[in-house]
Parts: sequence; C-alpha cells; structure tokens
Amino acid sequence: MIRVKNPQDFWSGALFIAFGAIALWVGRNYNMGSIVRMGPGYLPRFLSAALVAIGLFLAVRGVAINGPSIQPSLYRPQIFILLAIVVFGLMIERFGLAPAVLVTTVFAALASDEIQWKETTVLAVGMSITSVVLFIYLLGQTMEKWTWGF
Amino acid sequence: MELLQNLALGFGGAVSPINLLFCLFGCLIGTLIGVLPGIGPIATIAMLLPITFGLSPLGALIMLAGIYYGAQYGGSTTAILLKLPGESSSVVTCIDGYEMAQKGRAGAALTIAAVGSFFAGTVGTLLIAGFAPILASFAEKFRSPEYFSLMLFGLIAAVVLAQGSIIKAIGMIVLGLLLGLTGTESQSGTARFTFGVPELYDGIDFVPLAMGLFGFAEIMTNLDRRGRDRATAAPVGGMMPTREEIRRSIPAILRGTFIGSLLGILPGGGAVLSAFAAYTLEKKIAKDPSIFGRGAVEGVAAPESANNAGAQTSFIPLLTLGIPSTPVMALMMGAMTIQGIAPGSAILTERPELFWGMIASMWVGNLMLVIINLPLIGIWIKLLQVPYRLLFPCILVLCCVGAYSISSSTFLVMMMAGFALLGYVFAKIGCEGAPFLLGFVLGPLMEENFRRSMVLSFGDPVIFVQRPISLTILLAAVALILLIVIPQFRSTREVAFQDP
Repeated sequence: MIRVKNPQDFWSGALFIAFGAIALWVGRNYNMGSIVRMGPGYLPRFLSAALVAIGLFLAVRGVAINGPSIQPSLYRPQIFILLAIVVFGLMIERFGLAPAVLVTTVFAALASDEIQWKETTVLAVGMSITSVVLFIYLLGQTMEKWTWGF
Repeated sequence: MELLQNLALGFGGAVSPINLLFCLFGCLIGTLIGVLPGIGPIATIAMLLPITFGLSPLGALIMLAGIYYGAQYGGSTTAILLKLPGESSSVVTCIDGYEMAQKGRAGAALTIAAVGSFFAGTVGTLLIAGFAPILASFAEKFRSPEYFSLMLFGLIAAVVLAQGSIIKAIGMIVLGLLLGLTGTESQSGTARFTFGVPELYDGIDFVPLAMGLFGFAEIMTNLDRRGRDRATAAPVGGMMPTREEIRRSIPAILRGTFIGSLLGILPGGGAVLSAFAAYTLEKKIAKDPSIFGRGAVEGVAAPESANNAGAQTSFIPLLTLGIPSTPVMALMMGAMTIQGIAPGSAILTERPELFWGMIASMWVGNLMLVIINLPLIGIWIKLLQVPYRLLFPCILVLCCVGAYSISSSTFLVMMMAGFALLGYVFAKIGCEGAPFLLGFVLGPLMEENFRRSMVLSFGDPVIFVQRPISLTILLAAVALILLIVIPQFRSTREVAFQDP
C-alpha cells in the first residue's frame, strides 16, 4: 500500500488528471489543425495534456514528499448549502419566487448547527418578501411571484 | 491643462445626484462586506452584477468600483477591533492593529487607517488620471502579437505572485484556460465542451462561476470553522492619534502608497499582495523590528494605505489595455461587456465621459468613505454583532436569484452548485481560485490573438519576437520566470506570504 505523504498535493494532482483526461476524451474529435492554422482542437488538446502532466507531477510529489494534511470537513454545511442551491433551481420555475426563496432559506439555515427555528421562520418570510420586492417590483425582472403550474 | 479639463468632464458626470447615489450605495455595501468577515468583494460584486443590468453604464461601474475600494476601508475596522480580517487584504492589519486596540488606541488606529487609505486612494486616482491616457495611447500601437505576449506575461505574473505552491497555481491557470474555451469556437463554429447544453454555447457564464467558486466556497469553509470566529469588539477609545503616532505614520503611509500603487498595476497583484509587501518592507527598514506585533502604528498605516492604493491602480490595466489583472477586475470587465462597452484604450477615446466619470467618482467615493468609516464607526460595530447564521442564508438566496435572473435559466443555478462544490474542494486542497479565474477570462482572448497573429505573420511564430514591444514584454516574462528560479527570491516570496 502506498502511503500518501502530502494529501493536498496528491488530490490536487488527481483532480487535474481527471479534468485533463475528461477534456481529452470529450475533445477527441475536434479538428487539430496546425500551429500555423490552429483548429478548434489545437489549444484544448495542448492544455488538457499539460493539465494531465501537471497532475501527474503533483500526484507523484504528493506520494513522495511530506506536506500538510487536509482539514476535516463537517459535511453538514456542505450538504445543506449545495442542497439549498439545487432546491432553488428545482422550485423557481414550478412554484415561483416567493415559495422558492422561502424553502431555500430554510435549507440554507440548516447548514449551521446553531439554527434557531423561530428566527429562521422570520428570516425566510422576510427574505421572500424582500426578494419579491427587490427583483420583481424594483428591478422589473420577469419572474413569477408564485404559481402552481407544472 | 488637458487633465483639468478632463477631470471637469468627469466630475460633471460623477456628481450628478443619481450617480452620487450609486457611488454612496457602492461605498456603503463595500464597507459592509469589508466589515463583515467571511464575505469578499468578488462574491459581492458577482452577486450585484445582475442588479446593475438596468442601470446606466456609468452608474453601474461607479457602484461596482465603490464596492471594491469600499471593502478596503471596511476591512480595517474588523481587523483592528476583532483581530479578524474582514477582508483578505486586511490580514496583516490584524497583527498590529489589534495590539493597538488592546492598548486602548483602537480609535487612533482606525483614524490612521482611514486617513492613510484616503491619501493612498487620492494618489491612486491621480495616477490613473495621469498615466492611463499615456498608456492608452501607447496601447493603440498594440496589435494581436502584443496582446498575446501581454496576456502571457499577465498569467506568468499571476503565478509568480500567487500565494502557495507555484506548480498548483500553474495547474489552476491551465484548468481555467481550458474551461474558458467552452462554447462555440469562433472560426469553425465547433461547439467545444458543451455536452449539447444550449446554455453553454456562448461559453460558461462568468457570474455563476464566480459566485460558486468564491462566494459559496467561502461560506462552506467558514461554516467548517464554527465557534472560532466569535470575539467581542475592543473598545474604540479616542479617535485622535497622538503627535508621536502621527509623526511615525506619515512616512509609513507614503511608503505604503508607493508600494501599493506599483504592485496594484501588476497582474495578480492588487490589494492583497500590496498589503503584505508594505508590511514586510516596514519591518525590514524599521530601526527596531521587534516593535512589530506589539502595536506598531506603522504596521497599520502602511498596509492599509497600500491595499487601497493597489485597489485603485489595479484599474489601470483594465481601462487602458482591456486586460483584467485580478478576479475583481475580471468582474468589472464582465460588467462593461454587459453594458456594451469594450474594455481597453477605446473607452478613453470613444467614451471619455465614462472614463473620466469613473475616475472622478473614485475620488468622491474615497472622500465619502472617510466619513462613512470614521464618524459612523459605531454603526459598523453594531453590525458586527449580527450572527453569521443569519447572514449566510441571505447571501445564498441573493446569489441564487441573481444567477437565475441572468437568463431565466435553471441550468445556471445548477451549474453554480457545481462550481460551489469545486470551489470548496479547491480550498480544501490548497488550490488558489484567483489564477483559475484569470485563466478562465483570458483563455478565449489568448486563443483569438494567437490565431490573428499567425494570420498577420503568414504562420510564422517568430512574429512574437520580431516586434519590439512584444519582444520587450516577453523578455519581462522571462525575467519573471528567472525570479522564481533564484533561491533568494523564492525564500522572500515564501516569507512574504507566510501567515503572520
């Protein structure tokens, strides 16, 4: 079993390799052209290959040389923040701005373990009203205030 | 005399009631995010970008610029009173500012920071007014090879000046360049990396990317460190510095302003680096370096002047060359593009009222900020008491609605969630977001200019070293690379970015 001595470097490397490899695969059919007449595939391929090379270097260095470890995550904040954004995306067109903001605020507040329900309710209602007034009335954005349509 | 005429034109535009209002609004928001720890100017400007769609071009730019330099003022308040960097550019102010507060000199530290910032802001603004036209007329000689070389120089500078690992910074730039190429390729019409999603045909939208990568990643990182950021503000005390404090801070303010103005122009420099460099210099030249860390007034005056000077002069590359040198400037460029203004030397010749209006507004804004920050300090201290658990849901909601409103697209909201996760992972593994964002913005521009250069030279890459200006820029880039190799510079670089 290989022991990773510098997890930050190692995982940066892994991430770069993954992005580079995906870009190489997705862009495999783009026309290369030549340095003189660069096709749409020239720069992407060059950059993807460079990214994989940098990634390999970092990954190898991460295994070989000691370095800082990765600070542990709590997971709760990350899960609820991401969930809140996704919930907004799912609700805004089906239910309109006010309900979407209401639910999103609650999900966002859940990201902190200091959440207080009374306070959160007031905040959610306040944010719904504020965003309707700000975005729809003041800024004139075309969004539904609320709707039941699907 | 032409300068006076131009400034008169600028003030004519900037002091109209509505633009004064935008300026005040920008400065207030800027101070607010500067005071509140955990919200940066990048995320805030991205958040407010959709709101500026409906404003006049001058009004929009005045407001967004106000947020940026306003944050430099506000950041010092939190740094001095709480030892928390309200803004990343105030990190070094924490050290001696907080020590001063412990000795009951918080008020004096705040006054010196604000006055130093005002002086630096005035000098920075004058520098833009004086040098931008010269640089802009010089830039009119630029063709594609020069632009390509300049952008290359910019990216190299961003690597050299980035914090942390150099190789990771290069990786982030390459990743940014690659992502920037997403969308329909201009020559052949090939859709690159779009996965058949119509929203991606015009490229990845900048606003959700910046909000996800900087705003949300910041929130998630902050929530991981719960409990640590709770502190009570030190009492402010008398605002008036003593004669001795004034005597010591004047030269420090001058040096800080000089360093900040210089480093602000460099790509990747801006406010953060300026503050670090100014503090390091003060420590180096002090007769007794041991006073630093124990409430040295120079340790507040120099970095606070430097970060504001840097914030002002970082506008120069954008306004004269059309090249953003920092993530905030990339956002300003986005705002200009949305308003139908091509950033670069053309602003000066075609839209002088806009250019000079913005410059005049910067000075007016700096003046407003002194008032906002000194007599009204009590209000900002009150705001510091607002708990983070109430703050971040509001930011999140505003970002979501803002991202959706760009083109009424759910896809952009979902994409923002993706970038939020990516930004959080980057932060965890020590990868800097700033080089990534610069690469993202410059990617398509570099490809285009490289291709045009090849057309210009009938396919001979020698063109980049044949043209004198382009050659000079490339040589400067080589010099920068050599700097990294020199061990002495490397160690200085590491010291400069060390957590103080």
